[in-house]
Amino acid sequence: MSTRFLIGVALALFALFAAAQEKFPSRPITMIVPFPPGGVADLTGRPIAAAMEKVLKQPIAPVNRSGAGGKVGYAATANSKPDGYTILIALSSVSIFPEVDNIFNLKPAYTLDQLVPIALISADPTILVVHPSLPARNAKEFIALAKSRPNEIAFSSSGLYGTLHVAMEMVIQSARVKLRHVPFAGGGPAVAALLGGHVAALSSGPAAAVAHLRSGKLRALASWGDKRLAAMPELPTWKELGYKDVEFYIWAGLLAPRGTPDAAIKALREAARSAVQDSEFKQVMARLETPINYLDAPEFQKFWERDAERLVRTVRRVGKIDAKK
Amino acid sequence: MAETFQNLLLGFSVALQPSILVYAFVGCLIGTLVGMMPGLGPLAGISLLLPATFGLNPIIAIVLLSGVYYGAMYGGSTTSILMRIPGEAASVMTCVDGYAMTQNGRAGPALAIAAIGSFIAGTFGVIGLMLLAPTLAEFALRFGPPEYTALLLMGLFILAYMSGGSMLKTLAMAAFGLMLGMIGIDVMSGYTRFSHGLVELGDGVGIVPVAVGLFGVSEILLTAGAPTAPDVQRPKLRDLIPSREEFRLSAGPIARGSLLGFLIGIIPGSAHIISSFVSYGIERRLSKHPERFGQGAIEGVAGPESANNAAASGAFVPMMALGIPTSPVTAVMIAAIMVHGILPGPLLIQQQPELFWGFVASMYVGNVVLLILNLPMVGLFVNLLRIPYSYLYPCILCFCIVGTYSVSNSLMDVWILLAMGAIGYVLRKFGYDLAPVALGLVLAPMLELSLRQSLAMSAGDYAIFVTRPIAAVMFALGAALFVFSLKPLFGKGGDWRASVGLDSEQG
Repeated sequence: MSTRFLIGVALALFALFAAAQEKFPSRPITMIVPFPPGGVADLTGRPIAAAMEKVLKQPIAPVNRSGAGGKVGYAATANSKPDGYTILIALSSVSIFPEVDNIFNLKPAYTLDQLVPIALISADPTILVVHPSLPARNAKEFIALAKSRPNEIAFSSSGLYGTLHVAMEMVIQSARVKLRHVPFAGGGPAVAALLGGHVAALSSGPAAAVAHLRSGKLRALASWGDKRLAAMPELPTWKELGYKDVEFYIWAGLLAPRGTPDAAIKALREAARSAVQDSEFKQVMARLETPINYLDAPEFQKFWERDAERLVRTVRRVGKIDAKK
Repeated sequence: MAETFQNLLLGFSVALQPSILVYAFVGCLIGTLVGMMPGLGPLAGISLLLPATFGLNPIIAIVLLSGVYYGAMYGGSTTSILMRIPGEAASVMTCVDGYAMTQNGRAGPALAIAAIGSFIAGTFGVIGLMLLAPTLAEFALRFGPPEYTALLLMGLFILAYMSGGSMLKTLAMAAFGLMLGMIGIDVMSGYTRFSHGLVELGDGVGIVPVAVGLFGVSEILLTAGAPTAPDVQRPKLRDLIPSREEFRLSAGPIARGSLLGFLIGIIPGSAHIISSFVSYGIERRLSKHPERFGQGAIEGVAGPESANNAAASGAFVPMMALGIPTSPVTAVMIAAIMVHGILPGPLLIQQQPELFWGFVASMYVGNVVLLILNLPMVGLFVNLLRIPYSYLYPCILCFCIVGTYSVSNSLMDVWILLAMGAIGYVLRKFGYDLAPVALGLVLAPMLELSLRQSLAMSAGDYAIFVTRPIAAVMFALGAALFVFSLKPLFGKGGDWRASVGLDSEQG
């Protein structure tokens, strides 16, 4: 054992010691984006990362780990080293996958208690949009039509057990109607199918539908929020219409793996709090027509629990799709 | 017409501003370089560059990204021709005859024809986009799942014309490709199939690692396993320019490829991938000497290369006219303009004339830039072949692995790449054609999804395929094609296969 080796060991120990004393963050942070570039998670994640960098004085690098509808990125974060240097920009779908794995008797790729909240960035209710050829002028007529023609009205979605499917399923279960489900691979193709009249209805994010509503190619009937949308005040909510348990949001929030040191969580929470006030960030979100709905970790935790409970209940009632149906 | 002309002038007044011109040039250059990286195609190129455009103005952003898109489309053909490595699914067919031409010492003409074909097809596509976008977009929307099913089935029939070898081997490879395409989460029932608990396989096996592995890595292994190293090529200047004969042979395929690619491109969805396969099948069918295909037929480069570039512009029709992201690439482009507060939608062309016409004009400019950029570079690229194989191939293998990994930061893709390289090596030793594997893998998930979506729409009634006019016509065409392709199995002598003597066991 040479002197040089001993000096090396001493230096390494010293570095370790110094690191333990260091303030968080002392090196760049990775933000896992579980969807490809250009999606909602990516478009929210990048600007919030840029705004948080200003506070934390360390770069936050968004890394797209897409696959299996987001599951790959969620699982990767949940199973990563909880040191505060890996965070996740998650969408509502994060709550759905573990339950779907349960339905198929698979070992879940991750569980919800492997993740802890940092901050909620945005939460937008979806809206019911229909093709203009559908003879329903409002949500009441839509439900009446669905009851008089069971299993005849078709709706598209971003995928089976995907967020847009689960939202529609809430209405199906609450209003006791039967609709035909035609899943597509992603929100874009689902909107295209509705525009082409191949399906009659879709629960869509407001931003994806607003241009088509303005041009009259689609019609909006109801919203999934607990209060009316600021941008579409004439649109009733399902709750107003008497469907109490129909409430759904496409939300985007920051999560970290459980076990992340409190000091790191605290620093990240503070960074997120000032980031949502950042003028550049506000400007980007306004352009995307996505209202900012900031909640700090404790309130976000409550919001998430309620939301996950609704989603899991709905998914459980959907269950396995019977091949013979 | 006069109005279009005026609008186009407006567009050029935007696109020819020096600052925008520079970005068009930079975009094409980056795109070409990205496309040349094995495994990195147009989608990876524009995805990686997207965040960099957030700070630019929307016109520059979209000009830059479309430059990258075009450039990568073209760059992919360069590696396909020189090294048999497809940058993306669309250039799989280029590998076959393009690389055969390289081995015959005709790499220069293959690259030049690819560049010229891409230019003509790209320009044709822009003209189509400019004149017909709103009309065509409405038509494209009428393509729902049943029509899509019919289209993809026709793609499947094309398989029969794709390969020169035994029909049995072609079908075996197609079946292998289709089976690979079954891996992953079943979109209609949520079941995870054949993933063996690997979350990364939920989306199935990606085409990029498979194509790069089957074609590129297997080629490297085959060369390494050859008893003597192949001679390093020393291309001479006069070998760089296509001969008059090669120009003559390419004219038809370029024209047909452009039209076909554009038509397939406007259809929402990822069907544009099949345009190059379909073009190859058609050219082979129409050729007086189909036996030349696979041995370095210039038509086999000209047709598919034109088709995939025309399809690239065709894909902008629904994006610009309706604002719907119908493919992953256009989804990224739409994100790029949404970040700037421009809502893509049916009113985009009226509300943002500078953006739309600037974009159209910049596509004309981009095509010219690409041609100027790439024709002189043919000489440079061809000289890559002078590098001795013992240096060149290890580098290429590294690039393959890095490129494949960086597409979605997935190590799984690297393993798929390596496994496919080994499988490709074995299959080629036994004389199997690999292009049908790629087509099968591309078709299987799309065909399955659209077939089952159609049945979900009709609650299980197969009549949906005959009661919808577009679907019915396409099915009739497909059936005719199918009967046509069965002919050689029954009637002797009429088939070109017999004259080549490759298919005797089918008799």
